[in-house]
Amino acid sequence: MSSIKEKFNQISPSEFFYRNRDLAGFSNPSRSLYTAVREFVENGLDACDAKGILPDIHLTIKAVDPEKPDPKQYILTVKDNGPGIESKHVPLAFGTVLYGSKFGLKQARGMFGLGATMAILYGQITTNKPVTVKSSTDAKISNEYELLLDIQKNKPVILKHKTKEVARKGLSVSIFLEGDYSKAGSKIRDYVYQTSLITPYASITFDDPKGEKYPYPRMINTMPKPPTIIRPHPYGTDVETIRRMMIESQFEIPTIDDAMIEKVRKDLGLSKKNLSFTAIMEKARKRWKTLSRQVRVVIALMSFLKMDFEKLNKIRIEDLDVPNKKLFYWDFGDSSSKSIDMDPESQYYKQLTNTVQGETLTAFLTKKFQRVGPTTAVKFAEFAKFKPEKRIGTMTNQELAKLSDSLQKFEDFMGPDPSCLAPLGEEPLEKGMRKFFKPDFLTVIQRSASAYSGFPFVVEMGIAYGGEISTRGIKVYRFANRIPLLYDEGSDVVLKVINDIDWSRYKAKGDPPLVIVSHICSTRIPYKTAGKENVADRQEIERELRLAIQFMARKLSVFMNKRGQAEAAKKRANLYAKYVPLIAQFCTELAGKKKEPNFQKLLQEEKPIENE
Amino acid sequence: MSKKTDSKIKAASKKALDKQKNILEMLKSHGAKIYNDLDKGEFPKFSIPSRSVSNIVYDKKLRQYILGNSSALRSSRNTSQLRSFTQLMWLAFFANRLTNEKKSSTLRDIYYSSQAFEIDFEDQSESDNIIVDLEAVTSRPREDFHIFPEERSSIFGDLNIEYTIPGYEGKSMNLSNHPDGYAIGPSLTTAELVDTSAEIVIAIEKGGLFTRFVEEQVDKKFKSIIINTGGQAPRSTRTLLKRLHDEMNLPVIILTDGDVYGEHIAMVIKSGSANAAHLRELTVPDAKWVGVWATDIEKYKLPTIPMTESDIKRCYDLQKDPRYLDGIWKKELEVFLRLKRKAELEAFSKYGLTNITDKYLPQKLELAKSL
Repeated sequence: MSSIKEKFNQISPSEFFYRNRDLAGFSNPSRSLYTAVREFVENGLDACDAKGILPDIHLTIKAVDPEKPDPKQYILTVKDNGPGIESKHVPLAFGTVLYGSKFGLKQARGMFGLGATMAILYGQITTNKPVTVKSSTDAKISNEYELLLDIQKNKPVILKHKTKEVARKGLSVSIFLEGDYSKAGSKIRDYVYQTSLITPYASITFDDPKGEKYPYPRMINTMPKPPTIIRPHPYGTDVETIRRMMIESQFEIPTIDDAMIEKVRKDLGLSKKNLSFTAIMEKARKRWKTLSRQVRVVIALMSFLKMDFEKLNKIRIEDLDVPNKKLFYWDFGDSSSKSIDMDPESQYYKQLTNTVQGETLTAFLTKKFQRVGPTTAVKFAEFAKFKPEKRIGTMTNQELAKLSDSLQKFEDFMGPDPSCLAPLGEEPLEKGMRKFFKPDFLTVIQRSASAYSGFPFVVEMGIAYGGEISTRGIKVYRFANRIPLLYDEGSDVVLKVINDIDWSRYKAKGDPPLVIVSHICSTRIPYKTAGKENVADRQEIERELRLAIQFMARKLSVFMNKRGQAEAAKKRANLYAKYVPLIAQFCTELAGKKKEPNFQKLLQEEKPIENE
Repeated sequence: MSKKTDSKIKAASKKALDKQKNILEMLKSHGAKIYNDLDKGEFPKFSIPSRSVSNIVYDKKLRQYILGNSSALRSSRNTSQLRSFTQLMWLAFFANRLTNEKKSSTLRDIYYSSQAFEIDFEDQSESDNIIVDLEAVTSRPREDFHIFPEERSSIFGDLNIEYTIPGYEGKSMNLSNHPDGYAIGPSLTTAELVDTSAEIVIAIEKGGLFTRFVEEQVDKKFKSIIINTGGQAPRSTRTLLKRLHDEMNLPVIILTDGDVYGEHIAMVIKSGSANAAHLRELTVPDAKWVGVWATDIEKYKLPTIPMTESDIKRCYDLQKDPRYLDGIWKKELEVFLRLKRKAELEAFSKYGLTNITDKYLPQKLELAKSL
């Protein structure tokens, strides 16, 4: 009987993804074309964002044979002005699955590498044609590759590689794929339109297969602050995460091989010299402060073994038995296992035991988590009923579970650090919306960061009214981490909050020409479904959205009041201008006068009065 | 034509001229006030008696509804009143022209005439309403401004008149010359009533019965002038009835269908309507309603039809009207409510076409003397 794990192990990641391509959004020609566009455009934007480059993205979709009916082959090309990818990394980055994926804790549009490779894979499967990648990292030389993916082996096959002189940095990826533009077109156009709305600092152009051009020029020239990679917040972790973090943090006894010995010699300044054991220890004591932990551990081991480098080269450390204070090692010379006792009074003893048992709990917490300082760590230890100096390497599974549980329950951690988030910012959002919608009224707000379940999030929103907005009723543009959410609008938390608002209270009655832009940024957006098109109604997020909308709606209401007064005054003036001359005309004849009364004064001096 | 009547006519013409002059003077003074306000750079305004229900009171002495003391200010500054203010100004202006040129206009004419002056009445009921405003402000009936409703009532009997309207001045007419009767319009209401051999005026609700009465020579048999009110009597008919009563000293009796609406037609001739509470001199307080009463239905065993819901509701409404609190008015309402049935004038045809003129009318005329 073979387990699922074994089965998985038998196929390459490429094959696994190919078999499960529905999950990645490549279920049919229409959806696949749309997903491929998204993956490449988002990669381009992410690459520019990371390096603080104002993005220029060119998206082109061309039909191989325009006469054919859909679905048919298309060439999809996305070109950016980002940093490019080093030539030697190109085959691996575009010819394997799971290469170079970034799983860091910061806000990004997508997980780099995964989706794009899926698109390349899909293109190759459906058309049997290679991907063309052109990359320049220095604005001088462009490396151009034609690649195929070996699905079974998960390895790139380089068909062509040449270099060319260029004047610009950036990456261009071009694939052939089976697509259906007649069905996917409106979705792709919506996507490009909305992406340019939430990325006002980018210039995006789209040349569609029908020869239509959709240029979205850059609207602002400032980049929003890039997000930083940060440590996780205690609330956002579980037992598994903690276990992984512990393994990373425990210091293993280094393997003492040639390379390691070479390193120790170098650090002691003894690369060329052979010294006796005592001379080495003397040298080490002098240089102790400059030595790295690894080197220190090797020195400590040597102190108990009483060996020089030559002897050290002939053994392998087997185990460090702390309770019995014994050190076991394998001697290559006589091929036997030996042990020596360690003197607990030795200055090197603690060095070794600490290494094996890992850090203290408080050190672990302060180093590995955000928002935990020494004081908080001690307070937490007290709360969780651990000794603060408890070595994390000595924790049993039960203690680990208790630790994880207590991390969730401890209430004195500060909220998560939002510096890993990259909201657009009020000014760029406002400028973008103003140029996009040319409204009569516009207001935006960025709420301060908040958190749900340990994940920080920021809500920013804008409301535009009137002007060139021609739609009737409330039109909502939803974004999450600068990605437009185009579908499943009805079940989204943003829509829920907007629909709960009584807009007539804010003077927006009937079908107002109103546009609402909502942007939720988080290290983890709580999507409702795998389709990632709608955000679940987490209470904390709902609250922030509601406060943001209410704040803006109040401003809208002030605007509407003023506008109402101005309109009423204008209406009144028009009424006077229409009727007063008539009254004058009639009363002149009625009174038997020849000349009309001087009523012009009245029309000019009229000041608005409140309606009775 | 005798010298006596000649001088009477001259006096009448002078009276008519004086009246016209008065009206023109009044309109001019209103116009001058508005003119001066505008010239001073002020929004013109005027006060108008309130015609709301709360301001309509019954005057026992006058025996009609009149407007109370409350009045409203109409200001051209108030944009919600500006339009109707202008409409009223136009109407005064137009009435001034009509009166000056001695031309008459129907309510519908007014509605259409307004369109030549950028005055936008939404429909005729709006213009009719503004006409009532003019009446209220000036305390004059619209007829004084030569504005008349579409006529539908008529008159027949031995009555000599002489026209005063332009083009017919001095022309005389006997109103028994044409068996279909004469339409009661502006020329008739403004004509001089010269003389008559009649001793009574019979106002009857329906055209059919009017024709019957003419055929049966009720005018001769009972020395009467017969007037068809055509349902609720129009203003001009009521004016004429009042003049026949006041100037020719003729008693007026009223015959209506035997239902609550008939009873009220008689009441309006006698003491006016709440709608025209702003006007006086349209009533004939001495007029007598002689039938068909509710009690007549039983007395004469008339064929009946059941009262409708709205008939019954109307009975209850009228019971709250102070004029229905005593006498036959009160009694007949109660009987209608008891019977829950009504009878038309034609019901008498059950006993022969001339039964109403041969039997019922003489009895009622006799009875009227004692009412």
